[in-house]
Amino acid sequence: MTTFIIRRLGGLVFVIFGVSLLTFFLAQLVPADPVAAALGSNARNEQVEAYRQQLGLDQPVVTQYAIYMGRMLQGDLGASIRTRRAVADDLRDYLPATIELTLAALFVTILIGIPLGILAALNRNTWIDGGARILALIGGAMPIFYVGLVLLGVFYRQLQWLPGPGRLDSTVQPPTNITGLYTVDALLTGNWLVFGNAVSHLILPAITLGLFSTAVLLRMTRSSMLEMLGQDYVRTAKAKGLAQRLVVGRHVFKNALPPILTIIGILFGSLLSGAVLTETIFNWPGIGRYATTSVTTLDYPAVMGVALVAAVIYPLVNTLVDIGYSVIDPRVRTH
Amino acid sequence: MSVLNTRRALRWVGVLMILSLLLSACAPAAAPASAPAAGEEAAAAPSDELTRANTLVFAADMTDLITLDPAVVYEFGGTQTAGNIYETLVSFNPGEPELVPLLAESWEIVEDGDMWKMTFQLNPNATFASGNPVTAEDFVFSWERVIDINKSPAFLVTEVCGISKGNVTAVDATTLEVKIPIALSPQVCLSVLTFVTTAVVEKAAVEPNLGADFGESWLNDNSAGSGPYTLSSWNRSVDVVLDANPNYWGGAAPAMKRVIMQNMPEVANRQAAVETGDADIVQELGPEQAAALEGNPDVSLVKALNTILAYVSVNATMPPFDNPDARQALRYAINYDNIITLLGGNGELVQEIIPMGFAGHTGTNPFTQDLEQAKALFANAGVTEGAVIPFTVATATAPGGVDWATIAASIQADLAQIGINLEIQLLQQSELLTKYRAQELPMLLMNWSPDFPDPDGNGTPFANYEAQSLAWRNSWNDATAIDLSRRAAAELDPATRTALYGELVEYVQNNGPYAMLYQPTRVYAVRNDIQGFIYDPTDSPTISFWLISRQ
Repeated sequence: MTTFIIRRLGGLVFVIFGVSLLTFFLAQLVPADPVAAALGSNARNEQVEAYRQQLGLDQPVVTQYAIYMGRMLQGDLGASIRTRRAVADDLRDYLPATIELTLAALFVTILIGIPLGILAALNRNTWIDGGARILALIGGAMPIFYVGLVLLGVFYRQLQWLPGPGRLDSTVQPPTNITGLYTVDALLTGNWLVFGNAVSHLILPAITLGLFSTAVLLRMTRSSMLEMLGQDYVRTAKAKGLAQRLVVGRHVFKNALPPILTIIGILFGSLLSGAVLTETIFNWPGIGRYATTSVTTLDYPAVMGVALVAAVIYPLVNTLVDIGYSVIDPRVRTH
Repeated sequence: MSVLNTRRALRWVGVLMILSLLLSACAPAAAPASAPAAGEEAAAAPSDELTRANTLVFAADMTDLITLDPAVVYEFGGTQTAGNIYETLVSFNPGEPELVPLLAESWEIVEDGDMWKMTFQLNPNATFASGNPVTAEDFVFSWERVIDINKSPAFLVTEVCGISKGNVTAVDATTLEVKIPIALSPQVCLSVLTFVTTAVVEKAAVEPNLGADFGESWLNDNSAGSGPYTLSSWNRSVDVVLDANPNYWGGAAPAMKRVIMQNMPEVANRQAAVETGDADIVQELGPEQAAALEGNPDVSLVKALNTILAYVSVNATMPPFDNPDARQALRYAINYDNIITLLGGNGELVQEIIPMGFAGHTGTNPFTQDLEQAKALFANAGVTEGAVIPFTVATATAPGGVDWATIAASIQADLAQIGINLEIQLLQQSELLTKYRAQELPMLLMNWSPDFPDPDGNGTPFANYEAQSLAWRNSWNDATAIDLSRRAAAELDPATRTALYGELVEYVQNNGPYAMLYQPTRVYAVRNDIQGFIYDPTDSPTISFWLISRQ
């Protein structure tokens, strides 16, 4: 197990190197000038040149990359051209919002996707199954921005049951920063008012972001369960008089779990990328919105930072999924 | 049997572990439960109980906010925020172009050898939020900080005002003496002294927190000003919270005890926020959102003029526009009404280089589309039917909310009517600027926003080739324009100055390399229970939160 994790982390180094190389040189291909973009139209030529030198952009591209990688190895991601702060500081500010939103969406996905999938499989070809499949179809077919706008239009603007965009009401101050996840920090400091407000603000974006993955997980759970329900050992278990609850809980679901776990790992990735749109619609100050602004303002150090964070998160989640396999399926450990 | 028992035991251990984890997660929650409550009281106490009624929620796209240090801010969001916290020597009353005293009670400008000597008498009653008096020494410290930090707006102090370390002195606690080179205009310098870059910070508060960056990062999370508000918190990319300064020296404490400036980049969200009352004022709505809010009984729309001017410019050394007749022909060829229509009410026709709201603005719009005259003038310049002229346009939205490309297409259609083919080249805006700065573009579409609230903020860039700004980028080296812009900037008598700018405006209108198009408006939506909302594009800040109250 330990060697397995070490090997995975070793692979991470190559992923980071590859992503940084790709992002860096792709940025060079964009026909746009980050310095002119940052300084605007009023700056005079000598100011532009001075800033270009200050940022080191007058150096050859290969030198720039070497300097960047040298700094990165020391944990320095450089300074954002737009916010003029360390990229690492920016990421520290924006990443928790995205993680909170992604986890909330994953929570919605699992909470709805798995039980409905199981129900659909157990009641195959009944109205329950049909309903679940229609839900999966709708969830899979609706684009995020549309779902977000409809939910906001109905539950915020019309009915006013739920709060509008943002992580908290504007008049509610964020809890003491511990993890950066408002719900967790509010719980840790026992601030129930903030906790309730943060949860109510999470509902709509989490549903918006989680709808597509819920649909995928529902279908996956259903088909995986159906496959297992048709196995011989299930018939044996039933034949020896085991209660339905035990057959499904102890045998079928446990064996259906590995493919479900795989899909959750993949869905986590799609949730992270979906967060870009969701964050824009819901005014969510996360890394997705940071990335969008950074791209549109040609803030390459910030774009690099976001790409690297994503490059680290995906393999990490995959490693966690792999570890999960060995927990639920002992055979993986021995192989 | 024993195997089964072990497994069962293990399962119980697992369950117990999860339970204990859950309990430990809850346990610390029980202990500090009272702490945040106390914190809330403490936060509420100094601003005598905050309620939604005495809290102003202002929502805007504040993506541009990168600093709150008055010596560094140069973006709309930043000047708007810092302008409500920090004060300058002189100021404008909202909507009036005359300078009025603020921290300076009076001032005097005299010639002193090869320098102008400007002496300011500070108001002896002026105090910082801390209660300490504002002294001349604080000003010396603040301006030297601007020079040391040397970020975007520092040139206003060092170049436009010509202030350097050593020529600003504190004669006594309330007398500040500034000497600027005789070649510069004290009048322009006074306008710069209304801008937040030259605002005073409290030396005693900032000096202990200078750190490695002259206190810039400290001033991002703390304030040390004399203005009506103090900085409570800045949650990056979320909001800036201002609290009323309980010790404000300059009059009654603000009615709004707290101002929450929310960053809301999506215009649809801003519309929803003002509809539901989540926000009291939202800044900048598109034509669609404004139309949707029209007739809403709870919301009023307020149109506010920017100081931006949109223009077409041509390079005065490249054919055909090296010929003044071709430039005049272009001005007669454009259908200005059509562009104003495209803007859907978000822009006013302005055909001069000084925007509305500035001294020196003449209000003359001499050009209306006259294709016959345009054709004749083009013919004089040797431009015949079928001529092709490259026209560079940014792939971005123009001020006023219409794409640059849409405006360009309208101008293209105008010139097509007299047989001239504009070849539109779309470029990413930063690329366009780079080529513009290299004097490479024969014809382009752009906008200009003055660096400081004075007609010279436009006069010099548009007319003075030697300033290496717009006239230079368009290779327009014209002795008359340069001389007029210099004399107008330096003139001390307001009436003569206005007259000189009138002359300059007319000269550039007919000879310059520009076809000035429009001045955009920004639409604000304001809840009807809000009073005292005034937008002044020349003032810093443009919106004075301390004038706002709720019915």
